[in-house]
Amino acid sequence: MKKIIEKLEKNQYYLAVFKNPFTYITGAVLLSILQIALLASAGNPWGVSGTFTNWAAWIYEALGGSVDKWFYFSSLGAQNTLNAGFLNDPGSIQNVGIIVGALLATLLASQFKFKKIKSFRQVIAAALGGTLMGYGARLAFGCNIGALFSGISSLSFSGWVFGLFLLIGAFIGSKLLARFFM
Amino acid sequence: MKEYTLDCLGEACPVPLMKTEKKINSMEVGDVLVVQIDHSCAMKNVPEWARTQGYNVEIEEVEDGEWEVVIEKTK
Amino acid sequence: MSENGKSIQRSGARAPRKPKKSQIPYGMAVLIVMIIIGIALSSRSATLAMYWIFGSCFGFVLQKSRFCFTASMRDPWITGSTSVTKAVMVALAITTVGFTAIKYGAFLNGLPIPGMSYVVPISFATAVGGILFGTGMVIAGGCASGTLMRVGEGFGMQMLSLFFFLVGSLLGAYHFGFWKINFISNGPKIFLPDYFGWFGAVVIQLLIIACIYIAADLWQKKKMGA
Repeated sequence: MKKIIEKLEKNQYYLAVFKNPFTYITGAVLLSILQIALLASAGNPWGVSGTFTNWAAWIYEALGGSVDKWFYFSSLGAQNTLNAGFLNDPGSIQNVGIIVGALLATLLASQFKFKKIKSFRQVIAAALGGTLMGYGARLAFGCNIGALFSGISSLSFSGWVFGLFLLIGAFIGSKLLARFFM
Repeated sequence: MKEYTLDCLGEACPVPLMKTEKKINSMEVGDVLVVQIDHSCAMKNVPEWARTQGYNVEIEEVEDGEWEVVIEKTK
Repeated sequence: MSENGKSIQRSGARAPRKPKKSQIPYGMAVLIVMIIIGIALSSRSATLAMYWIFGSCFGFVLQKSRFCFTASMRDPWITGSTSVTKAVMVALAITTVGFTAIKYGAFLNGLPIPGMSYVVPISFATAVGGILFGTGMVIAGGCASGTLMRVGEGFGMQMLSLFFFLVGSLLGAYHFGFWKINFISNGPKIFLPDYFGWFGAVVIQLLIIACIYIAADLWQKKKMGA
């Protein structure tokens, strides 16, 4: 077993597919193929952050809260998703798949390392950045995936408008990062 | 010719890149900077940035998921 | 190896490296568990198993290519590098063609056009959402997909930012009624083929993507000189 792995680690095809990073353009082509295949088979393009809202609602309800009266969850579709639960929600399964797929890629490259939070500065950055993203994604109907990548590809002008303001936000974020989080 | 080490372990993008840029700018021509990183994205964008600047770059994987990017300031 | 072929001279003796442990066996184990989960899901519903496969593939490709939508918006401001920005433009161009083919096919056959729920109203909320999201993703070091991918890579910081992403989502959902009544419900939904025709919409969009690609290329040349 050990011998086989040692041999594998020097194999040029292993190195090309599993060890060395793909170029950004390779990534772009592969993600595009997946996006197109997903729209063709599922009837909807890729989205990530809408599912996070359901995760948040489940946790909130598990802690004793209730979102039944919230306008956001008032549609029949939203109620059905919430009632069906995590294991019957395609979006949740897909998001967990992203985590596990990334884990698989990291392990097959022998590059996994748990990276602890290093400083209080990182805690503040994660808390502030995460909250801003979560709130912003609800206002704009999605994140870089749902509102930008899938939105623009769906020939929706909203994707371009969102992208323009993202760029402005990224400028503000870069300045804040250089000033407070370096 | 001096050698400097920059500890960016545990830092997320784009902090390693920003720190590297700042450090390199304060160095003399001929000096070498060793950037320690454990962020798989920084392991791609730090060398890429240094190469565009025309510096010599080497990447060494020192541990599982840990790299040293060695940059020689050539100009 | 450095570009000129000779390696960089480093001062001082370095401690000999202890041999690295291969993580491939753990990777194999994860792969087997993933397959078992896939089979278990498919016995419940084929749809769930399909999403499991898509999610895993997205995660794998994101990690391998370090594809990062955050970097595409951030790096132009920080270092002037636009290599990720250009890659995003390539992805948008390919996906635009593929998506339109699927949508147009449905349209020709008189079927409902898929994915129209992603054509959303444009309003003041889009602008505020974009700025908040753009600021947040740079500070947290990753957007939604990037955060998930980095959780898989073992980043403690992104696990925390995922938790706060949920907190922000809950807050956003709680306030959603306010934004909907005051802004979103007055916003127009603009589906480009309604204005330019199917062919016109694709041509115009591809031209815009090409212009941004060229602008990004020139930006990098100006900022970085290469």
